[in-house]
Amino acid sequence: MTEHVNTVKAQRQMLRRKNLVRFRNDWILYAMLAPTLIYFVLFRVLPILNMRLAFYTFKSRTPWVFAGWKYFETIFSSPQFFKILTNTLIISLMKYVLLFPVFVVFAILLNEIRSLRFRKCIQVISYLPHFLSWVVIAGIWIDFLSVDGAVNQIMGWFGVEPVRYMTNKGTIRWVLFFSEMWRSLGWDSIIYFTAILAIDNSLYESAAIDGAGRMAIIRYIILPTLVAPMTTMFILNLGYFLSAGFDQVLNFTNDSVNSVIDILDTYIYRIGLERGQYSLATAMSLLKGLVGCVLVFLTHITSKRLTGTGVW
Amino acid sequence: MKWSKMKKYLTPGQILLYTLMILIMLTMVVPLLNILAKSFSDPAQSMGMSGLEIWPRGFSLLNYQVVFSNNLMVPAIWNSLFITVVGTVLNVALTTTAAYALTRPGLLFKKYIMGFLIAMMLFDPGFVPEYLVIQDFKLMNTPWSVILVTAVNVYYLVICMRYFEAVPVSLYEAATIEGASHLRIYAQIFLPLAKAGVATLCMFYAVARWNEYFRAGIYLTSSSKTTLQVILRQFVVSGDTAAIIGAQNLLNYNEFAKVDYSALKSATIIIAIVPILLLYPIVLRFYTKDLMAGAMKE
Repeated sequence: MTEHVNTVKAQRQMLRRKNLVRFRNDWILYAMLAPTLIYFVLFRVLPILNMRLAFYTFKSRTPWVFAGWKYFETIFSSPQFFKILTNTLIISLMKYVLLFPVFVVFAILLNEIRSLRFRKCIQVISYLPHFLSWVVIAGIWIDFLSVDGAVNQIMGWFGVEPVRYMTNKGTIRWVLFFSEMWRSLGWDSIIYFTAILAIDNSLYESAAIDGAGRMAIIRYIILPTLVAPMTTMFILNLGYFLSAGFDQVLNFTNDSVNSVIDILDTYIYRIGLERGQYSLATAMSLLKGLVGCVLVFLTHITSKRLTGTGVW
Repeated sequence: MKWSKMKKYLTPGQILLYTLMILIMLTMVVPLLNILAKSFSDPAQSMGMSGLEIWPRGFSLLNYQVVFSNNLMVPAIWNSLFITVVGTVLNVALTTTAAYALTRPGLLFKKYIMGFLIAMMLFDPGFVPEYLVIQDFKLMNTPWSVILVTAVNVYYLVICMRYFEAVPVSLYEAATIEGASHLRIYAQIFLPLAKAGVATLCMFYAVARWNEYFRAGIYLTSSSKTTLQVILRQFVVSGDTAAIIGAQNLLNYNEFAKVDYSALKSATIIIAIVPILLLYPIVLRFYTKDLMAGAMKE
């Protein structure tokens, strides 16, 4: 028994020595990694350490003063917080649950286009909005949706009265929905489209022999292939669930509609950086970050158990 | 195309599909062309231009003249270009070197390093903690704040690792046996062989840099350091007309009172889009080549 322990020890020692040699030979690799790691320590780890501000009151010159759970109590006792949380969840549900299948459908439809040239043309055009900043998109859409803009003009042909979509509480969330769709339709469907292209030809051939129509092929060959990428995307989206697209909302919001699309991040930005309530904002970021991580882990584990595919 | 081939396409389903796709494309193309047309229109005529018109009414460069005569605009464009170029070089240098190291077989602690990076990707510290760090490092109101704070994107790093994994292992082994150093293998084998991937990476980073408006708006506090997207946002989203014309110009030139703000907005948006359109062919060339190769197999 002791002999066995000794050999294990010796083996471990040898491994350690071998590792040391390897480390010495490959030091340049670590030098290549170092800038990236230093970056993350300086600009990611240090901010994370700064998050202890959630439990302190900020002082710019003197050390921060310990405040305990004070700021969390403030958050949970304010009715505005729950309103903002509801807004965030509604907008995320629209974007990540309601909108999500649209990208899958678009990929399937794109695959049904037989002319390769036309297909490429659609791809070139539909990927483009993804590369525009939300500032530019907001600029375009404000014009697009104004009283004499293109949308109201077309609705006018059908006898619909002009609507001020951007300043109407009933429509603004749908503006977010459709502008997100406009921006991501092409790009977010790429992952599904590549999955469809990877399907083995022999599957289609045997389906054709069995006399399957296009619908049957989509139902029994294409959709099952898309389950794996859909799961991955869904879990990744859950990581954004409490963010709900900050850049978009910040650029589409205005005083008339802010109460229905004010989300966690816009609120954190406003109280933290505009009103200087650093601790309160940090407390909220901390809650948001923790819940976000838990969401991703939970879905990852569930999905791994159910379908065998997770994110990592 | 031969008629017999055409007939195959003309099933009701295909016609419906093509109509739908054309409509979708129109929603993407028409607003952009409309803005382009407005920006080149004669301001006297562009006032009542509809959102569906894609041809300029009259032709004039006055809108661009007004935009460029704002003395903040030209420095802002230079600032944006500086941040984009320097930032992208930094992004790509760090991402490719790290990806090279992380894809070498037998790298010690690889599991822990990847775990650390993924954790950094998942957990976002939020605006205030990051703002305090920028303040502590005395980076406020310098372009380096914006450049350094987004130096590596883990998601792109992972993508870059996939590109490097596709480089044949035999090449790497042969080079090692020949006694080539890691730096040389990285520069002379991996970068050239993963050229398409690295170009795509450049494009992604460059677009993100050019489109950065939020951090630039917070960290670059003086108007001489500001960037194009920040000015654009003030004007287009917040409706601050002085931001675009420049307060000085508003007082000096009476004729600018005649200018159509909507057309001015369009001109600014076009200026902000042009660099993206210049980069766009790169992504199409490299990114969609794989997709097209896949399509050809059918």
